[in-house]
Amino acid sequence: MSVVWTVFRKELLDAFRDRRMVIVAFLVMPLAVPLVLAGMSALGARKQAERMEAMLDLPVIGAEHAPNLVAWLTSHNLRIVPPPADADADVRTQEHDVVLRIDAGFGTDWRAGQPARVDVIFDSSRPMQSGAAINRVRGLLAAYDRQVGVLRLVARGVHPAVSSPLRISDRDVATPESRFDLSQQLLPYLLLLLAFIGGMQLAIDSTAGERERQSLEPLLTTPASREAIISGKILATAAFTLLSIVVTLFAYRLAFSLMPSEHVDISLNVPLPTLARIFVVILPIVLLGSTLLAALAAFARSYREAQGYLPLLIFLPMIPTLFLMVAPVRTQLWMLAVPFLSQNQLILRVLRSESVTAAEWAVSLGSASLLAAIAWIIAARLYHREHLAASS
Amino acid sequence: MIEADGLRKSFRSRRGAIVAVDGVSFRALDGEITGLLGPNGAGKTTTLRMLYTLMQPDHGRVLVDGIDAASEPAAVRSRLGVLPDARGIYKRLSARENIEYFGRLQGLKRTVIAERTARLSAALDMEDFIDRRAEGFSQGQRTKTAIARALVHDPRNVLLDEPANGLDVMTTRSLRRFLQALKAEGRCVLFSSHIMPEVAQLCDRVVVIAHGRVVADGTPEEIREQTGMANLEDAFVKVIGTDEGLFA
Repeated sequence: MSVVWTVFRKELLDAFRDRRMVIVAFLVMPLAVPLVLAGMSALGARKQAERMEAMLDLPVIGAEHAPNLVAWLTSHNLRIVPPPADADADVRTQEHDVVLRIDAGFGTDWRAGQPARVDVIFDSSRPMQSGAAINRVRGLLAAYDRQVGVLRLVARGVHPAVSSPLRISDRDVATPESRFDLSQQLLPYLLLLLAFIGGMQLAIDSTAGERERQSLEPLLTTPASREAIISGKILATAAFTLLSIVVTLFAYRLAFSLMPSEHVDISLNVPLPTLARIFVVILPIVLLGSTLLAALAAFARSYREAQGYLPLLIFLPMIPTLFLMVAPVRTQLWMLAVPFLSQNQLILRVLRSESVTAAEWAVSLGSASLLAAIAWIIAARLYHREHLAASS
Repeated sequence: MIEADGLRKSFRSRRGAIVAVDGVSFRALDGEITGLLGPNGAGKTTTLRMLYTLMQPDHGRVLVDGIDAASEPAAVRSRLGVLPDARGIYKRLSARENIEYFGRLQGLKRTVIAERTARLSAALDMEDFIDRRAEGFSQGQRTKTAIARALVHDPRNVLLDEPANGLDVMTTRSLRRFLQALKAEGRCVLFSSHIMPEVAQLCDRVVVIAHGRVVADGTPEEIREQTGMANLEDAFVKVIGTDEGLFA
């Protein structure tokens, strides 16, 4: 045990004296992650507000057929602009989000008390960009429709309630914590990536790098067992990574508490117990990542070769995030046994302040720890290969 | 005391198995300096690596102070002080921290390490760089640091693979004095070299290796008698069969 501790301490000392490694782990990462996420949030919130309230340019074909409707729309913050030659092509190329066409027979139908025709031209395949504009135009048309309808009923001596058999009122049960935005969807992935390969530099440096700098053979002439040596290196990598994650999480918290939240009614403040839970969720992933990196670096013949395997490792934690984006699912217990998918789900739930049962915690932490143990056995075996140190 | 008995080691390569060491036996006694002499590629490093348990011999066995290296490798390693062919030291640690690290791995207490470091630093003339970080050390400073960390646990047996490699004349001279001091303390010193004069000057016993085999074993005088050559240099050339790689 004292050997593990000795190696652990030496590797950490070595790492903290590597200025480049320290800057990346404790400055670049803690700055980049919250900046990207907070920036996305702020931008998203502003865009949303803009789409809902700002003046919207609406091309109208045949505006002359319905001057009253057009005047009403104009009074509701829409600017009516001359229509394009080809409305369909114009919408498809996103020149405009939505175009209104008023039928030539609008006036005749209107006066006859027949439903007068209005076409809303839009492209449903781009809900992110044009959804808000479409909804606004449709909502205004529906409001106008209802208003005139009520007036007509009253003119005929009918109580307007006759035409409203339902009284629909919305009650949204979303809590401020659960109503988070896209940037928070990305947080689990960034955290998992950081947890999984954040220790890459240190892991490769302390194994493949140690071999390349010719200090591994002397190390192996001491009575220290190879298992103890590799364990010390793995634990040093894990500790370094965890420290970097703690700093990043606090930076994330700070960034979101500093963000102006006038426009958004979602909770941007991440309470400390939530941070602590996220930390526990990713703890086994840090161990798994450090161990896999150590195994990889022991397997690779050189520093460069070890770095060559990294894209593979970066891709692994991405898979569940992509899966969840395409097919959002309710968590089932078996999913919590799948590494990355499990952590991804749990981080999202912890962020939404949902409760996590003891069984779910056990499955998630247990399966990831088991995998880390298997990776450790592989790493230890690789460290026992004869040509590990004696390559030359 | 180090005993090698019928050591054999082969490596697999693309062109089939290469026998690097082919039945090497010798003894290195306490209170003596034994030289393992041979041209480059003769199998010296592989032999030493089997002695310090980095490699396992295909055949034969290694005894260090009577302990079998195959069954108790850790016990053997704690009785050996090794300067391997690879002598990288940690650049971001000072010379003292490098030595301390190995002392801790040998299971020594902090006070013992401090006391030994002081002694080795004086003996190896390391005082002016002992607390500097190893980044930018000269070859000689690196070798001294590597020797000091290899001997921090005060081993009875000292193995050095080509210790004089890359050292200037002054450092080589002080290294020679240091090895003689180790011998005077009653230790078993075994070092490999391809440089004949170095071996002739220092060694009580010479084991000449060529093509993975021991071709001569004895005191320098005995080897001269065996070959019938008055000059030691000629004697070496005769037992090895060629002077290739011997004076490089």
